[in-house]
Amino acid sequence: MYLLEQLINGICQGSIYALMAIGYAVIYGVVGLVTFTYGEIIMMGSFSAFYYFILFGDNLFFALIAGFITAAVVGIVVHKVCYERFLDAPRYISLICTIGMSMFLKNFATIVFGSEMKGMPTFFNGKFILLGDIRVSYMQLLIIGVVIVLSIMLTIYLKKTRMGMRLRAVSQDKKAAALVGINVKTTTLIGNCIGCGLGGIAGILLGVYYNSVLPTMGGIAGLKAFSAMVLGGLGSISGAAIGGVLIGVVENLGIAMTSSGLRDVFAFLLLVLILVVRPQGLFGKKGN
Amino acid sequence: MLKKVLVIVLCIVMVIGIFAGCQKDEGSDVIKIGVAAPITGNYAEYGKGFDVATKMAADKINAAGGVNGKTIELVLMDSKGDAKEATEIARKFVEDPEIIAVVGDFSSTCCMATAPIYTEAKMTQLSPTASHPDYAGMSEFMFGVMGRQDGEAPFFAEFLAGKYMGAEKMAIIYLNNDWGVSAYTNMVKGAQAAGLEITAEENFVDGEKDFTATLTKIRQTNPDTIALIMFYNEVSIISKQIAAMGWDDVKVCTLGPGTSDQIIELGGADVEGIVTSTPFMVVQSDAKAWDFKTEFESKAGFTLNVHSACAYDALTMIAKAIENLGDNAARETIAGELASMKDFVGITGPIIFTADGDVFRKYKIAAIENGVWVQKTDYSFGE
Repeated sequence: MYLLEQLINGICQGSIYALMAIGYAVIYGVVGLVTFTYGEIIMMGSFSAFYYFILFGDNLFFALIAGFITAAVVGIVVHKVCYERFLDAPRYISLICTIGMSMFLKNFATIVFGSEMKGMPTFFNGKFILLGDIRVSYMQLLIIGVVIVLSIMLTIYLKKTRMGMRLRAVSQDKKAAALVGINVKTTTLIGNCIGCGLGGIAGILLGVYYNSVLPTMGGIAGLKAFSAMVLGGLGSISGAAIGGVLIGVVENLGIAMTSSGLRDVFAFLLLVLILVVRPQGLFGKKGN
Repeated sequence: MLKKVLVIVLCIVMVIGIFAGCQKDEGSDVIKIGVAAPITGNYAEYGKGFDVATKMAADKINAAGGVNGKTIELVLMDSKGDAKEATEIARKFVEDPEIIAVVGDFSSTCCMATAPIYTEAKMTQLSPTASHPDYAGMSEFMFGVMGRQDGEAPFFAEFLAGKYMGAEKMAIIYLNNDWGVSAYTNMVKGAQAAGLEITAEENFVDGEKDFTATLTKIRQTNPDTIALIMFYNEVSIISKQIAAMGWDDVKVCTLGPGTSDQIIELGGADVEGIVTSTPFMVVQSDAKAWDFKTEFESKAGFTLNVHSACAYDALTMIAKAIENLGDNAARETIAGELASMKDFVGITGPIIFTADGDVFRKYKIAAIENGVWVQKTDYSFGE
């Protein structure tokens, strides 16, 4: 019973990791390299919801949309600054550029929004359902629900629409995609925006669930998203989702057995162990 | 073209940089005191309090004619609550020959990290808030005015948790840093002396947001009270998560944040009833302290907390030491003068340093009732 409760805690936390990791996987897929700005995009999404709640009232659904749009717009800026100019340059230039962008956004947020922690409104008045003796709050259910719905929508988008097909083509081979007449620049931009938007939504869920929004919240969030994606296999979307949930569950079970101070030890130990056994990640293809 | 412009601009910037050092005013009528505080980051509320309180103290002294005819000038730097940043700041302060003493930093970790640097330069560091028992004893130049963990934590266990709250089985969650570990070990000692049973001891690393796993685990051990050794952000998060779990037969007390407003702001209804200990709380009958509180709050925009009051006293105390020294005031002499001061009474009461350079204080108990901190017992409760 006790372990089941911890398992539910883990799945809920893991769902947020999963959503962040999915967004990261989309970006990695189309852009083709690791970004260090992702954590700050999550933070920007969270802050946009914070201000949305102040300005327009406590409507979570519209706040999620606002967060998606804000994060996507920041994504455009990141794309214009860090990727577009350097498409043909060595890849590390873009990489370093995203590190700079990350620092810029973090300090920008500190100056503009203030450095102190901000709270978020509470939703559903703390209502919950009982599974045996275990409370599962509406908020937890909502988070898991949002993550599942977004994953399904993303899969349909990628598999069934023309734009999705272009995205997949670009992520498989940029040159070949250009040869068959796909506008690689625009497609990369759109893919990057979708990935960032998902990150923005994850940021809002993170902020509401923990009732805290901070300019520095992106650092560890981005790192967890990255680990979840690597764990699942670079660029694999379903892999990223499973990787995220897995990290959340392992962390919480680890804490249940030892101490909260060791949270990150379990997360990253799992990552290292799996990479030692399967360097391509759980669902990655060999040779990528 | 663009490159050329850039090169020229950079050259100009560098040349200006070279001459910037030459324009120093003689500064014979100014006394510079360094202030290191976490203006941003996880302890920002306290840092802002340091900033406002030290400025208030300096303004008051300067308005009354300064110290020995010289005006006090504060050099504020942001340590972000990070020991790495704090040591950088310590180096900067030490290298500036005009700075003769330092007020700061907020956390014991930062103060203990910077202690060797200041000691080497014979610079006095007077921390308003560092309460680790080892800090002030690190050298003759280190002082703390907050009181020590081995004074507060045993009081907390025996009188606040035991006598006031009637706890029998207590669980402890503590922040895993120098201060937290020290407060926790001292609290355990006090609890054992008072016959309290400790059911669970959990720690976490700064920045943690999800305590549900820890709380679920602690709940298995059936404590009637939880003691939180941490600061306002985590206290509010944990209170919210306890409420979300539907765990309503547990009382919560906290050591560390003092009577912080942020707890109430972030925690809302879920922090109602939380109990804390504080060496300082203003009641309206004390006119001097009440005036100070009103002025502070109009300048800072939030309620006065013990940390800011200590920062005010720390700066006033250094100014007093400089005044006592007269022409002998220099980096090396301030520490000795502070150690020998026996008659200083600040806003937080009399401050007389022990041989180590810290203070043993008495504590009040306060609780949140209807969204405000209310004093529950006076200093005499712990006697």
